[in-house]
Amino acid sequence: MEITISDLWQSAPMVSLTLTGLVALLVESMKGGRTTAVYGLSLAGCALAFVFSLWSLGSEVIVFNGMILQGGYASYFSMVFTSSAFFTIVLSRPYMQRLHREQGVLYILILFATVGMMLMASAMDLIILFLGIELMSVCLYVLTGFVRTKVTSNESAVKYFLLGAFATGFLLYGIALVYGTAGTTNLKLISQSFAQLSGNSLFLMGAGLLVIAFSFKVAAVPFHMWAPDVYEGAPTPVTAFMSTGAKAAAFAAFVTVFIRTFAITGTPISEVVAFIAAASMILGNVTAIAQSNLKRMLAYSSIAHAGYMLSGIAAGSAEGETGILFYLAAYTLMNMGAFGIISWVEQQDDTKLTFDDYAGFSAQRPVVAAMLSVFMFSLAGIPPFAGFFGKYYVFLAAVKADLVWLAVIGVLTSVISVYYYLRLVMVMYFRDGNATIEERVPGFAFAVIGVIAALVILLGLYPSLVVDISKTFFKL
Amino acid sequence: MLESYLPIFFMIAGGIAFGVVMLKLNEFFGPRRPTEEKFSTYESGMEPVRTARERFSVKFYMVAVLFILFDIEVVFLYPWAVSFRELGYQGFVTMFVFIVILLIGLYYVWRKGALEWD
Amino acid sequence: MYELLHDLLGDSLLVYVIGAALPLLFVLPFAVVAVLLEMKVSAHMQDRVAYMYTGWHGVLQPVADILKLLQKEDTVPAAADKFLFRLAPFLVFMGGYAGFAALPFSSAYIGSNIDLGVFYILAVSSLAVIGLMMSGWASNNKWSLFGAMRSVAQIISYEIPSALSILVAVMIVGSLNLQEVSKFQEGGIQNWIVFGGPMPLLQKLLLLPFTITAFFILFLAGIAEVNRTPFDLPEAESELVQGYNTEYSGMKFAIFYLAEFANMFLVSGIVVSLYLGGWTSPFGDVMSGPIWSFFWFVAKGMFFVFLQVWIRWTLPRLRVDQLMYTSWKVLTPFLFVCIFAVGLILVL
Repeated sequence: MEITISDLWQSAPMVSLTLTGLVALLVESMKGGRTTAVYGLSLAGCALAFVFSLWSLGSEVIVFNGMILQGGYASYFSMVFTSSAFFTIVLSRPYMQRLHREQGVLYILILFATVGMMLMASAMDLIILFLGIELMSVCLYVLTGFVRTKVTSNESAVKYFLLGAFATGFLLYGIALVYGTAGTTNLKLISQSFAQLSGNSLFLMGAGLLVIAFSFKVAAVPFHMWAPDVYEGAPTPVTAFMSTGAKAAAFAAFVTVFIRTFAITGTPISEVVAFIAAASMILGNVTAIAQSNLKRMLAYSSIAHAGYMLSGIAAGSAEGETGILFYLAAYTLMNMGAFGIISWVEQQDDTKLTFDDYAGFSAQRPVVAAMLSVFMFSLAGIPPFAGFFGKYYVFLAAVKADLVWLAVIGVLTSVISVYYYLRLVMVMYFRDGNATIEERVPGFAFAVIGVIAALVILLGLYPSLVVDISKTFFKL
Repeated sequence: MLESYLPIFFMIAGGIAFGVVMLKLNEFFGPRRPTEEKFSTYESGMEPVRTARERFSVKFYMVAVLFILFDIEVVFLYPWAVSFRELGYQGFVTMFVFIVILLIGLYYVWRKGALEWD
Repeated sequence: MYELLHDLLGDSLLVYVIGAALPLLFVLPFAVVAVLLEMKVSAHMQDRVAYMYTGWHGVLQPVADILKLLQKEDTVPAAADKFLFRLAPFLVFMGGYAGFAALPFSSAYIGSNIDLGVFYILAVSSLAVIGLMMSGWASNNKWSLFGAMRSVAQIISYEIPSALSILVAVMIVGSLNLQEVSKFQEGGIQNWIVFGGPMPLLQKLLLLPFTITAFFILFLAGIAEVNRTPFDLPEAESELVQGYNTEYSGMKFAIFYLAEFANMFLVSGIVVSLYLGGWTSPFGDVMSGPIWSFFWFVAKGMFFVFLQVWIRWTLPRLRVDQLMYTSWKVLTPFLFVCIFAVGLILVL
């Protein structure tokens, strides 16, 4: 049970981000600790962790006595999380400054939440998985309620916390049952004995509880109740972080356990996941139509997207995994961009969040409107944007796994979703009004959103950039 | 090994029995003359105003939360301390990292004034 | 002791019942003595004489007090939460009393020879915190609630330093069982952990400053945990009447009192076992053996009880902010330094 220096070196993304977080905490607590310093440090930490992840993408290794996987799959997700954290930090600075609530802790909490996400993606042991989920969730609870003076922010934090605590309970019971039947919490060992275990009803029950816990974290029906309220109440950049990074992390854990570890095809688990996926797609999309508040609309749309991705898990195949991996990258980018622009238009008193407020937006802000349109098209899954290929891959995986009905539901509900995504585009371009961003959009954040929009188009044109990478990951 | 817990069980039983017996004796020897005044809440001779169960300062919660954090940390330290010598230098370094992370947290809490009572 | 009982009585449960009853037989006379000690010592420190009428120099006064309390009416306020109100004294008493099970009274007797030892004591003594909170809440009295809140905040704040200072000794010995800890220190006063333990000379000298610090902090935190002056804010009579037990009368009140004295000895017992050799004789093999070791343990324990009384009548009461300051900003960081240094010294 030795921990070697090479273990630490191989987990450089996680270690570097943790160290950055700790140093930032020290800077923040020093006398005259400047928020700008913490801001810069956090961005640098994210960038560094991103570079480390990119660098270690090539080969997968198992470190820390079989507890943690590094490289390959974990590095891929680390890149998704660190970029999500980077964008969130960039976007939240102007947002919080407008509310006069900028504090260094915000960035530090984002950093630690990202470490938690990385742990989730690199877990080779259910205990590490639990640790990661808790680290991420606790930071997110605080971030949700970060604007202390707003009632909605507080309310959503309490809701998220209470329901999250329940979900953690399910997770722990699930882990306990799996441990009880498999005799180990190590995923590699469980995967080796999965064939015998899959007939054991206690084990299936444990797996079912894990499905519940993860479904809660990805906000899938019927465990989605918290999502709209929490997404609406939380500060918009935090909402963006939750709907991208946290969702990606939960899917990373989902894929690790249910595709890479368990061979769920043909087991009851697969049917349950398929049912959850179908319900999420239908309910998310149908309810999203009725929303007038953009944040709520995106919340329901994120439920629907969770449904699309879950059909990849229900397929339980390598194609499904590839599809989800691609989808998550695309979804992180487009959702981050959409929330980013919304956070500029939004006013301090929670107004300017409805569709109508965007009337005439294209005339006032042609570039921003164009970028928002890109994100909306991509979210709707219209080619040639990244969102299209995400859906294409997961539905393809579903069809190959004889889940044609699921793919049909997915395509039909995607058509429904076009209505509400394009409604925003329609309002921006074809309706007169005087929507404006009163404050000047900060240059850096503007540039970042531009980069995100460019990436969304790039991934749509060359999906193989990501898909080829994800094909190199080995199965457990 | 488990039988060494038996005395604890008997001790607790004995302690409870002792308390019950004393209270019963008190009930037997003591008078019982209830009056309304006697059973009203004592407020230094004044008429009791409102209930005592009101909100109290958030400081107490801060202390409680800090306590839980540090207590859990101490719980982690105990097994380490017992097998400290077998773990040797590596165990020491590992735990040292753990403690340092915690101390950074303490320093942060300290600087942010959560430890000030007033 | 258990071997002896086994020889006498065979392999029956009765052995454990008797073994378990012994601490109670110690605590009750101890409480009587301690009440007398407190009154007499405090009186003489202030140039008074205290009780003089009941028995020779008033030695029977505590017994008379108990008899008096037995005849008092046992009141439960109308506004109180009756069940919790009745339950609270038990919890407070058990918190102190159950800890005696893991105290090694002599080389031949420990109530329960469990490996968890001092960890078990820490665990059960937190029952008392719940009991205090319960008594304050159930009384539905402002003084009680304030007293209980203060008391709980104080106890849990000082739980951290005391647990950490226990850790220092545990690191040196490598066992939580107080019997083992005492055995470790056998061989005379120079082997006591407060003086560095039975180590090679150089290591001993290096350890010395840290073990002494940890010893003082443990005793200090111990006093704070039993809410005695200078840490007696929870029952600061000039501010809060009687604190959490304001509404209690008769035997219930007596049980709170008993718990306080039991705790006084428990704290002394922990300090003595961990840092001052427990039941070991200060003169090496001279005056050792089961009976002598019992004597040494009680003598050392009583000395610390006396010290607590002495401190009570010497030092003024702290303010709340000073109290918290001491615990979180002085004792805790100091102990982390101690733990780090002791670890380093032992590893090298």
